Amino acid sequence: MKISTFKRFSVLFAAFYCLALCFPASAQEDSGNNTASSTGVSHVKDYDENYAFEDPKDRKTFLELTAVLRCPMCQNQNIADSDAMIAHDMRRKVYNLLKEGNSKQDVIDFMKERYGDFVYYQPPVTPVTVWLWALPVIFAFVMMGVFIYRRKTEVPQQDIAAKLDAADKLLKDE
Amino acid sequence: MKRIVWFLLPLALFLGLTIFLFQGLYSDPRERESEALAKTFPTFQLPDLMDETITYNNDIFAEQVTLINVWGVWCTTCAIELPYLEDLKDQGYRVVGLYYDQDLDPDFGTKTIQRVRSEVLTTLSKYGDPYAFNIFDVYRDTSLDLGVTGAPETFLVDKEGVIRVHHLGDINDRVWRNKFVPVLTEMGELIHKNTDEVGS
Repeated sequence: MKISTFKRFSVLFAAFYCLALCFPASAQEDSGNNTASSTGVSHVKDYDENYAFEDPKDRKTFLELTAVLRCPMCQNQNIADSDAMIAHDMRRKVYNLLKEGNSKQDVIDFMKERYGDFVYYQPPVTPVTVWLWALPVIFAFVMMGVFIYRRKTEVPQQDIAAKLDAADKLLKDE
Repeated sequence: MKRIVWFLLPLALFLGLTIFLFQGLYSDPRERESEALAKTFPTFQLPDLMDETITYNNDIFAEQVTLINVWGVWCTTCAIELPYLEDLKDQGYRVVGLYYDQDLDPDFGTKTIQRVRSEVLTTLSKYGDPYAFNIFDVYRDTSLDLGVTGAPETFLVDKEGVIRVHHLGDINDRVWRNKFVPVLTEMGELIHKNTDEVGS
């Protein structure tokens, strides 16, 4: 009895895992916003001095963009964090582009055109990268299939009960 | 039969993972596809480094196949490749510098243009001067448009103003032979070294 409950939980877990994987985009969006606000705190002072926005909404976009654009020189930092010259220049460019009235997507496209998909932390879905999302889902489904298959071909309950009895008997005999 | 499968399956998975991770050890994370390749050189209008009254634009490519070398005096690798570039100039290639300065922040400048010029002259007299002229990328805008991440980087631009080679890092004999010579040959612009130079 206990064994089948465990298996039921496993299947349930796998199902939840699949669900979670189905929404990578929304998850990414959230984390992006978090980074923006967390880096925003430490950089507010600098940005207030150097990059002034009249509209607080533009400022928010600026902070979001500098958090999701990746520095091509120091690869594991976004351009808000990095002190490389290229990051300085890219921040200035983002600022100027926003000032000129470009949208968030315009700025991302501008950078992608020059530095490739590499520059944006959200990878595009291409035949190569689609496996990042597909593989875990496929894995989960295969595992679910295995669970179901094994449950069907399970040894009858009575058999186990009989075996347990035999084991108990052996223990008692000792 | 089933037993063999259960024995081999984890082994195969393990080996697959090992091979995947092992090749990761030898991959260069800095190696990226250039976005500038086969595109037209971005439109620019920039002054000469030594004389701000002279202005250059994309017309400079019309006359001759050009090597655009992005550099600065603050960059050590750039100084190292100067002699090799000078050698290319002596062979008859046209090398044009796209100069940008690190300490000269366009908005919060700390360095005067006079100082930049004297530094450039010192460096060029020390290591060799390969440049037909130097374009001063004042705001580093053109470098950004080219997708430059850091000096030195070199672009081979044809007479139509299209970028044919984009090389990150210094130019040496190996890079020249492997990356530039095939493209130049294809373009029919390869200049053969003088025979007496080979003999020496």
